[in-house]
Amino acid sequence: MRRLKTIVLSAAIGAAMLAGTVSASAEEVLRLRLNGDINTLDPISTTNFTIRNAAYLMYDTLFALDSNYEVQPQMAEGYTLSDDGRVYTITLRDGLMFHDGSPVTGADVVASIQRWGKVDGLGKILFSKLQSIEAPDDKTVVLTMNEPWGQVIPALGKISSNVPVIMPASQAANDPSEAVANPIGSGPYKLLPDEWVPGSIAVFEKFGDYVPRDEPADMAAGGKVAHFDRVELVYIPDTATAIDALIAGEIDWIEEVPADMLAFFEGADSAKPIAARQSGNSMQLVVNHLNPPFDDPKIRHALQWAVEQKPFLQAAYGNATDRYLECAAVFFCDTPYATDANTERVLNRDVDKAKALLEEAGYDGTPVVLMHVTDIPAHDAYYSVLKPMLEEAGFVVDDQPSDWATVATRRASKEPVADGGWNLFFTGWGFVDQSNPMTNVYVAGDCDNGWFGWACSEELQELRKQFAEAEDPEVKKALAEKMQILTHDLVSYVPLGQSFPSQGIATNLEGFIESPVPFFWEVQRTQ
Amino acid sequence: MLGYVLGRLLAAIPIFILVAIFIFSLVHLTPGDPAVLLAGDNANPQQVEKIRERLHLDEPLIVQFGIWAGNALQFDLGESIYSNKPVTQLIAQRIEPTFVLAAVTLFLTVAIAVPLGVIAAWRANGWIDRGIMAFAVLGFSVPVFVIAYLLVYFFAVSLRWFPVQGYKPLSNGLLTTLHSVTLPSIALALVFAALIARVTRAAMLEALSENFTRTARAKGLGTFRILVIHALKSAGIPVITVIGIGFATLVGGVVVTESVFNIPGIGRLTVDAITRRDYPVVQGVILFFSALLILINLLIDLSYALFDPRVKG
Repeated sequence: MRRLKTIVLSAAIGAAMLAGTVSASAEEVLRLRLNGDINTLDPISTTNFTIRNAAYLMYDTLFALDSNYEVQPQMAEGYTLSDDGRVYTITLRDGLMFHDGSPVTGADVVASIQRWGKVDGLGKILFSKLQSIEAPDDKTVVLTMNEPWGQVIPALGKISSNVPVIMPASQAANDPSEAVANPIGSGPYKLLPDEWVPGSIAVFEKFGDYVPRDEPADMAAGGKVAHFDRVELVYIPDTATAIDALIAGEIDWIEEVPADMLAFFEGADSAKPIAARQSGNSMQLVVNHLNPPFDDPKIRHALQWAVEQKPFLQAAYGNATDRYLECAAVFFCDTPYATDANTERVLNRDVDKAKALLEEAGYDGTPVVLMHVTDIPAHDAYYSVLKPMLEEAGFVVDDQPSDWATVATRRASKEPVADGGWNLFFTGWGFVDQSNPMTNVYVAGDCDNGWFGWACSEELQELRKQFAEAEDPEVKKALAEKMQILTHDLVSYVPLGQSFPSQGIATNLEGFIESPVPFFWEVQRTQ
Repeated sequence: MLGYVLGRLLAAIPIFILVAIFIFSLVHLTPGDPAVLLAGDNANPQQVEKIRERLHLDEPLIVQFGIWAGNALQFDLGESIYSNKPVTQLIAQRIEPTFVLAAVTLFLTVAIAVPLGVIAAWRANGWIDRGIMAFAVLGFSVPVFVIAYLLVYFFAVSLRWFPVQGYKPLSNGLLTTLHSVTLPSIALALVFAALIARVTRAAMLEALSENFTRTARAKGLGTFRILVIHALKSAGIPVITVIGIGFATLVGGVVVTESVFNIPGIGRLTVDAITRRDYPVVQGVILFFSALLILINLLIDLSYALFDPRVKG
């Protein structure tokens, strides 16, 4: 009898376990593999692009960029500007709702913009010129500037980090350096916190109360129509596994496929790689102006003559020539501010000229410390190309391998090399940040307050100020060109070409929006 | 026996303290600042400094150790710097995939390796023995990621019998879970089976040359009874030791397999935490591993009594 009981019980447990294998429903699920993991969904607390991309699923913004790079209202119905050019009155559109069911009010918008303004570079400039920001009622936000400043709406429509997303005032009250624990947005998808496992998966479901704009989707602007019941951001650290999973139909999209893995897609009809031309990146060699030998402008110019772009691009992209472009334009090639002014030293390699400049400057053989990143394959390849190039031109090189985490910390050191400082490291920036003179870190000339390398130029600071205040596109273009000339003379960095990463997509998906930031509204399955 | 177990557990306390001090020092001596990684590439120094203050990373090391050790004594391993979630919760989330993977691997390993080792010893120096040992050398020599990618290519991408990646929790049903861990378990089992088959063969050879085996043969017992009931039981101690250590290694050291098959287990948690300089998670996980190793060693020691009656005393 006891034995019979055991058998029956075991059978019942087994049946219960097996029952779980039956799919609960036929939900439409979109599975995405971003470049990194989702540890937070607060895009104000970090500038990390993976977090920015994920945050766009669940948050909405007041304004947004369209494909002509013009700012359009998004949560805003519209705005008016006073005759003296100082007072912006923004009206919120109807039907805005947070994922907890509460309506989006002017007070939420004010608190969110204030939090963003404490950390974002452009936001800080805006707040330095702001007299007041207030919400006279639930549907209205008023920004009063000390003086007219043409960048108010472009700043609020900023597409890249830190994106001025709108969150409930209670969450926006958090210290911006501390990530909001249970983030609530008002975008087309809603986070499911119980299913979020950092290091593994973040799950979102369609937010039924989201009201898209009537206009068609146009990059970050227009109607954001969600076509999937669930979106799962699956963290797959191994890229080869991710591609296999895409081909096998387990996931639908991969943010970046390395050039040497494009061959994986040959013969696969379920998935394909596409060149994400709008998601262009550029690789740069960052120069520390504080330490010898690069505290001497002549030796910085020698560095420019010592390197050329093509070998780096070939090392990273091999024969995939459609995936890269030799480009020395500070604001990227094929953009409104692209110019080839003062690019001769950057685009051409001349070892003799480099040697002559080193001699003229009295280079004493001070070793150039390379912070060689070994755990990111593209970076590793770039360092391997750089070292012989520099040595051939007469530099003494001290190649110091370490992981990215170490370099990311060490690059902040302004100390001499002997005390943990550095001379050169590689980094990459995206199209959207670099093409805008207001967000391109290399044209700031901000000295001690600037980005790593601490290139210093009062003239550049002044040009940026003029750019921020200029309205006429031709004037802006001329100012941008001057910035490029000065930047290449100053050698804030050495540009090493532009690349167009490949994305991997399931062939049964359509509706992807061309954008430097990946968006997933409008995407739908065809079969 | 109870006194023995309690004694062993008490002896583990100084080991824990040493591990805690060692790991804390090692983790904090490693260059790299979690605040910088947390702030993102575009962050300015003020943003980074604010994060450092919030995480108490600006405090002297001894103060940081005091805070951590005090909390650990109350079973509070702190919060992840990276995800703001309690370390205990992160470990709990990762235990199931790792344990299921380790258990299935161990089952497959024992099922493959012990019979092979017994047969190899039985047919020592013949072609069957050489064939089995060739398999063992191969399994031991081929890197696990090569086996993993081959399995994925044939059984997941080409034949679509198994998923390429991912882990389905037990809440989805036992069969679904087993289906999701089949390929990674085979990849790991091939490596461990090679090791255990060799150890089993060596131990069996020794047992088969003992007088009690000769006596069993003289009594006219069948080959199966001699091999399994007499010789294998005698050869059990080294085999069970290797299996036990193998299990501990599987729980802590299957990073490559967890990465290739995208299984969110403890091995990957550890490596991710190291690359992100997520100090509390690294410290917490290593303390957890230490406890696990001590426990497994204890269980191995206790299991000796099953195979060798002399140990009972």
